[in-house]
Amino acid sequence: MTAENSTLVSKVLVLDSDDAERDNIKAFCDANGLVPVKAQADNALAVLRSNVDLGAILLSECYSECGGIAAGRAIHRVRPELPIFLRRTATPNLDDFSEADQRVFRAAYTSDTMHLLRDAIGVSLFSRAYPNALVRGITEVTKAAIEGQFKHVSVEHEAPCLVKDRIIFGELFSMIPLESSWCRGYMMLQSEEQQLLSFLSTEAFGPSVEGEEANFREINNLLGETTNMVWGAFKNRFIIDAPDSNRLSQVPIIVNHRHRYISFGSEDPLLCVKYRLHDRRDASRESIVLYQWFAFSLAWSPDKFKENLPSVESLFDSGELEMF
Amino acid sequence: MAQILVVDDSSTVRNEVSEFLKKSGLVVSTAVDGRDGLTKLQGDPQIKLIVSDVNMPNMDGLTMAEKIRSELNNQTVNIVMLTTENSPIMKERGKAAGIKGWIVKPFKGDAVLATFKKLAGA
Repeated sequence: MTAENSTLVSKVLVLDSDDAERDNIKAFCDANGLVPVKAQADNALAVLRSNVDLGAILLSECYSECGGIAAGRAIHRVRPELPIFLRRTATPNLDDFSEADQRVFRAAYTSDTMHLLRDAIGVSLFSRAYPNALVRGITEVTKAAIEGQFKHVSVEHEAPCLVKDRIIFGELFSMIPLESSWCRGYMMLQSEEQQLLSFLSTEAFGPSVEGEEANFREINNLLGETTNMVWGAFKNRFIIDAPDSNRLSQVPIIVNHRHRYISFGSEDPLLCVKYRLHDRRDASRESIVLYQWFAFSLAWSPDKFKENLPSVESLFDSGELEMF
Repeated sequence: MAQILVVDDSSTVRNEVSEFLKKSGLVVSTAVDGRDGLTKLQGDPQIKLIVSDVNMPNMDGLTMAEKIRSELNNQTVNIVMLTTENSPIMKERGKAAGIKGWIVKPFKGDAVLATFKKLAGA
């Protein structure tokens, strides 16, 4: 899926054994900005582990020979941050569940009451509005920054998505604060070291010193400078006023190396864009993936969002020398 | 003895800029932040041009420029900022510190080489 527009979607893992219901859910997803990801009964947890950008799970009570509720408990145990919506056969509620099981599932619905699922998804996933101009601008400046740092690549991105997950699993992160009168939080780029190293092993890709092989420090620097480029472009385009210095709250950020994740602590949906980098000179080479995260976890006032109009100063192209 | 001092906390940028300038026949040294830049400039009177980032740890590029003019009392070395910043306020601060020019990253060597050579006295 490639989308060069700013429409927000959210990926949902669909665990439903009924073919007809899966078609029904697919139609529901298409109509409600959701991207269904399917999984077989025996690989659901593997899919959970390999998809870092899921928004929710749509689980059937009858999933895997009526083991849906047990599956829900197991998923909730390992990923309690992900909302699970349960499709039931008889009643569209959780009233007959124990209190513990009611905490496992965010909401219930039946195939005749899909509006309940739509409402629950709306509250849970699409509760935070991101201005279209912001989302579009983010992808534009980020593509330009990546193409400026990684030589000979073309960059495409999937539709920006909302991720309802308090923790972000991954290996290599580079993040920077974003501070303005309308937003406060962090922008983060995420990738895998080995992917980047293999991509940079060809001299044409690397900004590295000639004759030296790329190592993890160079990867860190490259990802850091790409983050810096995105940050600068974001500031120039979207940050007009500084935040009120008397109201600068902070919350701890958790980094867990053992379980390889980071958490900004916010319950609000995170904005995530997945970029894929292709070798322009060799189409047979495997592309690599960069995830970009926005966690406006400290302040969020989209009603005050403004985009900078071009000024005389900004008419100078990037890279041009403006003499004083 | 270098003609140009490249100051940037990112080794990616330091390598990219300095390698380009070296291949163009210029003698280049590097510094990792503004504080290091001040030290390197004090130790090498041949430096004629400083190409510096703005946002760096320990000492930012604009503070370094201001200290070059005030504390080192060096009014002659040319300074060009190479940065992601494009704010008029920062540029005004740079002008007040006697900065010669401003480049918004990315670095496009071919576009600035002739001017760099002139500023470096090459």
